[in-house]
Amino acid sequence: MDIIKIYQGYFDIIEDYFGNIKHYLGPEEDSHINLGMDMANYPLISDLIFDATADIGLAIEKYWRDNIKNIMDYIIKDRNVLKCVYSGNISPPILENFVKKSALYIDTVILPDPIYSLCLMQKQITMDNKYYINRLIRNVFNIWKLKELILADTRERIILILPINLGIITQKEREILLKAGEAGFVSYISDLFGHDLVNNEACFDYMHRLETTEDVFNAIKKKEILPNEFKQFESFDSFLRAFYDSQKYLKISIRTVGERFGIYIRSQFIRVQEHKFFCEKLTAEPIYDNELAWFFFNYEIGGIDMDASIASALQQEKFEWITKVPLIALKKFREENKLEYMRSVIRKGITDLKAKSDRELIEVSKEIEKNLQEEFLRQKAEIEDLRSEVKKITKKDMPITTLGFIAGFIPVLRDVISLLTVGRDINRLVSRKKNITQELIGRESDFINLLMKSYENN
Amino acid sequence: MKTIKEMDIFADGMRIFLDYVSRQLRKNPNYLPHPIIRAFGMAFQGIESLKNGECSMGFSSEGTKDSVYEPYIVVLKKQKNGVEVKEILNAKVGKQLSVDMMIIIFRLQIQLDKIEGDLIDPEEAVNALNYVIPGKKFYFLGNRWKEAKEEFMKLMKEGKIHLPPDPNIAEQLKQIRSETPWENYPNNIRALIGSFIAQKFDSRGGIVVITTPKKLKIEKYKVFDIATEFLMAEYARCLRLVSKKID
Repeated sequence: MDIIKIYQGYFDIIEDYFGNIKHYLGPEEDSHINLGMDMANYPLISDLIFDATADIGLAIEKYWRDNIKNIMDYIIKDRNVLKCVYSGNISPPILENFVKKSALYIDTVILPDPIYSLCLMQKQITMDNKYYINRLIRNVFNIWKLKELILADTRERIILILPINLGIITQKEREILLKAGEAGFVSYISDLFGHDLVNNEACFDYMHRLETTEDVFNAIKKKEILPNEFKQFESFDSFLRAFYDSQKYLKISIRTVGERFGIYIRSQFIRVQEHKFFCEKLTAEPIYDNELAWFFFNYEIGGIDMDASIASALQQEKFEWITKVPLIALKKFREENKLEYMRSVIRKGITDLKAKSDRELIEVSKEIEKNLQEEFLRQKAEIEDLRSEVKKITKKDMPITTLGFIAGFIPVLRDVISLLTVGRDINRLVSRKKNITQELIGRESDFINLLMKSYENN
Repeated sequence: MKTIKEMDIFADGMRIFLDYVSRQLRKNPNYLPHPIIRAFGMAFQGIESLKNGECSMGFSSEGTKDSVYEPYIVVLKKQKNGVEVKEILNAKVGKQLSVDMMIIIFRLQIQLDKIEGDLIDPEEAVNALNYVIPGKKFYFLGNRWKEAKEEFMKLMKEGKIHLPPDPNIAEQLKQIRSETPWENYPNNIRALIGSFIAQKFDSRGGIVVITTPKKLKIEKYKVFDIATEFLMAEYARCLRLVSKKID
């Protein structure tokens, strides 16, 4: 099965719908965000774009109907590959940066197809057209920018896109999953507010009565089980406001702040179950790029193992410097199969046990940083050694041999030396210098060295 | 017509729409969109090879060389940062269309493409028109035709209706019996009734009542005609309002 060819089909659909504006696939990493907004905000044109692309969902659904089995089989079959399934948003806001960080450690990122998710959402809850167009264009370009990496001829696929959604699993599986999600939600809300709430309805009945953010915040009895972002009133309030802003484009009615909070928490517990389900099915680890999503997975599932912790820790803000290395260098790094080496560098000293007890990934990310620093120092020393050797050949060895050869003061080794031997010596030195210079050039443009420079400039 | 900053997105929106037209053509090589779209497509294609400041023109029409129908001319000018629409002209009536009107016609095409064939139900036509023209300005009479007829007759008895000077109209009205089915009413009489009772069905005014009987179908090109006539009338009304204010 030619997986690259299958994914080429995915990009053919994107080309069919947006091929005429591919000039926006520029080098700026966040250009897709402005593009989505600009197009969505342009009166009438955004309506025309909405209508002209309205059937992209049908095309994508058909594509997945035709290909999902092959891709699933491909993923499931490959058990010796470190795979991570992303969850937390429709797609990481800047996918390119997310992949630059994750591809340093894991073989394959499995990414929910954002176009499929959006079109499905649009069908189920109907979004404001402008909001939908904004998200559609933003996500199309977010993923389109990585086409080369997705189709790269690497030993392990760097990115695999899949329509990860409750819609693609059986009714029975869906029911089990929703039930587990709701049970988690009920238990969390009961615990949080210190009430013995028996089911989903009881939770919403209770939460409906909490009209303002103050009501919700004051009613919380166990603040220690809240994510960090919710522990202070100000950040809790601003989160709920932002959540409201994103929900107002969806045509659903939320009456009180309590209900709004309940809807968010419930969606997180269901998402966690969905994520867990797909991780198990694909024998993959979870990966996150935001703290809230990570928090709820951890809360519900318990500590996760080393690989998932490292993969998610790499997504933290402190590793932003990794994203400054060009995508093309990452592609080369993976094509040259250097991942295993990098992985061994990063995971040095980190164990499953350590990772499981480090729910906020503070220790794991410290270890990663320390390991990378050590590796950079080692790299630097090696490059310095090579540079000194070139210098030595240029300034010392070659002039001595050459001058000796010209002046007749030939260095005598073991009593016998011929002019021919001296000639060979010069050739050997020239060739050695050439090789080291080549290696230096290689090392300097190498992914690790680029990473190091990016770290130093940070 | 548009500022330079706006033009980029305008041209991109048009490019996405032309991608749509290409997909339709791939599905059906005989696909023939409205002439304004073909004229625009020609002008847009032509502009790619031009220098800044140069213009490209597209022309397209329906019908035969003896009976040209809906001839449209679109002129575009290449600018540094995009495309400027210089002219959109209905060459038959010699009237200019605005860019907004043209976009509405593009969107109407997409809606009508969703329905197979050249004929559509009047209700579908009204839905498509209301979808693309803001303000829900079209009303499908459908089963309420009896109510409309009675209201019309009542208004006539009360002397509130002044019929057009055409003597045939009075004659046609006389021939209508209470049992005459709506489909058997002459087209002009149905339209006349529709125009007088529009206010009853929608008090906002400026509503177009589509009186085509439920069982009959409407040609797609007529739906475009309804839209362009309506938009031109609205445009003219706006212009009159603006000029009154200036006076």
